[in-house]
Amino acid sequence: MENNIINTKGFKTNLYAIFLSVPMNEKEVTLNSMIPAVLRRGTKDLPTQQDINKKLEEMYGASFNCGVDKMGDYQVLKFYMEILNDKYLPEKQNPIEFLKNIVFNPLVENDGFKKEYVDQEKENIKKIIESRQDNKSQYSFDRCIEEMFEGEPYGIYKYGKIEDLEKINEKNLYEHYKKLLQSARIDCFSCGENIEKIDISIDNKNDLKNELSEHSIKNKEIKEKMDVSQGKLIIGLVVPKGPKSVISVYNTILGGGANSKLFQNVREKASLAYTVSSSYIRRKNVIFIKTGIETSNYEKTLDIIKKQLEEIKNGNVSDDEFNSAKELLTASLRLMNESQESLIGYYFDQKLYEENLNLDEYIKNIEKVSKEDVINIAKDVSLDTIYFLNGQERNN
Amino acid sequence: MEVRKNNKIDETVYTEVLDNGMKIIVIPKKNTAKKYIIWATKFGSIDNHFIEPKSNKEIEVPDGVAHYLEHKMFENENGVDSLYTLMALGLDANAYTTNDHTAFLFAGTENFYEGLDELMEYVQKPYFTDENVEKERGIIGQEIGRYDDEPDWKLYINTMDCLYKINPVKLDIAGTVESISKITKEVLYSCYNTFYHPSNMIMCISGDFEPEKIIEEVKKRLYPKEKIDEIKRIYPEEIKGINKKEKVAKMGISMPTFMIGYKDELDEDKMKVNIAVEIILNSLFGKSSKVYQDLYKEGLLMSELDLSYEFSNTYAHVLISGESKDPRKVYERIQEVIKNETINNEDFERSKKKLYGDYVSEYNDVENIGRMYLSDAIKGINSMEYIEKMDEVNLEYVNNILDKLFKKNESVISIVE
Repeated sequence: MENNIINTKGFKTNLYAIFLSVPMNEKEVTLNSMIPAVLRRGTKDLPTQQDINKKLEEMYGASFNCGVDKMGDYQVLKFYMEILNDKYLPEKQNPIEFLKNIVFNPLVENDGFKKEYVDQEKENIKKIIESRQDNKSQYSFDRCIEEMFEGEPYGIYKYGKIEDLEKINEKNLYEHYKKLLQSARIDCFSCGENIEKIDISIDNKNDLKNELSEHSIKNKEIKEKMDVSQGKLIIGLVVPKGPKSVISVYNTILGGGANSKLFQNVREKASLAYTVSSSYIRRKNVIFIKTGIETSNYEKTLDIIKKQLEEIKNGNVSDDEFNSAKELLTASLRLMNESQESLIGYYFDQKLYEENLNLDEYIKNIEKVSKEDVINIAKDVSLDTIYFLNGQERNN
Repeated sequence: MEVRKNNKIDETVYTEVLDNGMKIIVIPKKNTAKKYIIWATKFGSIDNHFIEPKSNKEIEVPDGVAHYLEHKMFENENGVDSLYTLMALGLDANAYTTNDHTAFLFAGTENFYEGLDELMEYVQKPYFTDENVEKERGIIGQEIGRYDDEPDWKLYINTMDCLYKINPVKLDIAGTVESISKITKEVLYSCYNTFYHPSNMIMCISGDFEPEKIIEEVKKRLYPKEKIDEIKRIYPEEIKGINKKEKVAKMGISMPTFMIGYKDELDEDKMKVNIAVEIILNSLFGKSSKVYQDLYKEGLLMSELDLSYEFSNTYAHVLISGESKDPRKVYERIQEVIKNETINNEDFERSKKKLYGDYVSEYNDVENIGRMYLSDAIKGINSMEYIEKMDEVNLEYVNNILDKLFKKNESVISIVE
């Protein structure tokens, strides 16, 4: 168990977090995604959501948040509590106790969670899964990941599957919860000024090791039809395992902002899109390109994107492009110091993957990257999956 | 220079109005490396009819011109996009258009003054050509297309259409593919020359700055401009009462969304109404309310309602929105609560504590600070008033607003399903 403190100055608030991490797996994904949903419904002391929310408002608008996330091959259950720093609180409060109660002292009835809560949250998760298609941009991105990582842990949807929900009840979910507290990796963070550690006294004996699953290249091209006025194109690229600093710079040159090859060529020169960008998923060694275009411009856009990949491979990266990419990247990393959530997110990721680089060291590594490094690595970037969510072709 | 300090939250705001009429607001923040600047003109999507001060001619421009102009401001004679230049400096730069203003901004930890050079140059030096205006049409067309697919946007714009009969707040900010087809270089210059005059502009700066020094730096970079008379904007006179009760859009989404609106036609101090409305909404419909808990248990709501009060110089309204498998049922329940409930002292005090915490938390980030002060300043308000006026709002006043703005007022609903 890790109890971390991150000292910050200049914030009006303190942020506390507890993370439970387990390997993503098909069998337990839905059980896990149900846990935060049920825990936030009531604790021993505050048995209803109304009690919880009244308490938070009494704590001068403290906020509690929880959810489920995918980080590499881990499924992570996240619990956050934000509250004003003592300096601005008219009366002293106890946020750590509140957060611990939510995670570790749930409302228990007859050796199970409260049935009503479990039934309602099953219904809610079902609706979340069913309404995935409502946000077209997010949906197309999720679908590309699913196709590219089919049969691998990273391809699993973080909320799980509807068919699993039927088998879940207040008893077996509670059993699963007790097991989870023992087997999950638990990380705690306190971020702010004059803050205390989150001390946890539970018997946790996780023996999780960091083994990333292997990815096999898929070479897929998938087109799905839906009622959209703008087609969403997502492209998954496989990149080498490291060095991550070099790939970060490569990604920024490719699609990280207004100076990037993609923005300049797809948007500015060809006027094909309003948004076009790429993002690097460090823990899965993959880059995703995302853009929204007219359905009829699919081939044209794809050609321009492929050409940009070739350009970097062939060393056609100007000093200007290279330097501004590095500047943008280091600047955005420095900005992490300005958000407690980003700081916790950064250090948690570092702990989880046993890198333990502080933010300054990480930035220094980026600064050391040369243009040759980037061009060298570009040779090992390959196209994996192309996903296109498209509607009717418009005649205008 | 006006100096306003609040000891409770330990913040001070400095406001200076320059000789040319431009307002500069500085909110210093120690212990932070991040700096934020936002520079706005009071020119938004609703300003499509005005009298050009130089020629004294009445002009009507196509819908979406403020937004089109925002896009084109980044253009320079040397062909280098200013967004490109700012990002190359490691600055997170952006611009946006709302219905009452257009803003240009950047944030970053380094190269602030280089960024300031660029920002102040590109906003003061337009460069529009037939070619570069034409090039933007496709990009903005795609941006409009993206909004068409967004249920949230449809929901909002339909609510405005229900609330207002004439007010252009009901129009798409970016215009339509049809309306932007009429935008030319000449239209852009005419709007630029009218609205991008310092007397119509406000700048907010937040970060580790000495107020006097940073104001001097800004003054050095301002181009001398002839004084102009006040810009006469012609807004159609809004007709009292709502436009229509309901608007439903079918977008094939599995979980319908809804937005309920109340039009505020009261003639009161908007900041005080704002605070009272926030207390009312939180007490009656917030996460700690009884009706929220009931609706959640019945499966009619899955997550909290979005509660807000929006106002400008030409409109004001309350919005309550959320997702539900049965929006009409939720609407009924909300109307019942409005009809039967009043605010009690316990809810009032608790809601005020929450409002205080929410407000103080805004000061965590220079970006939030700058954005908050700017959007309030556009309406002629100093954001510090919020905390100052909080003590003036008592339970009686809150229940009075509940009566006038909710109980005796007609509501509308927009649904996307």
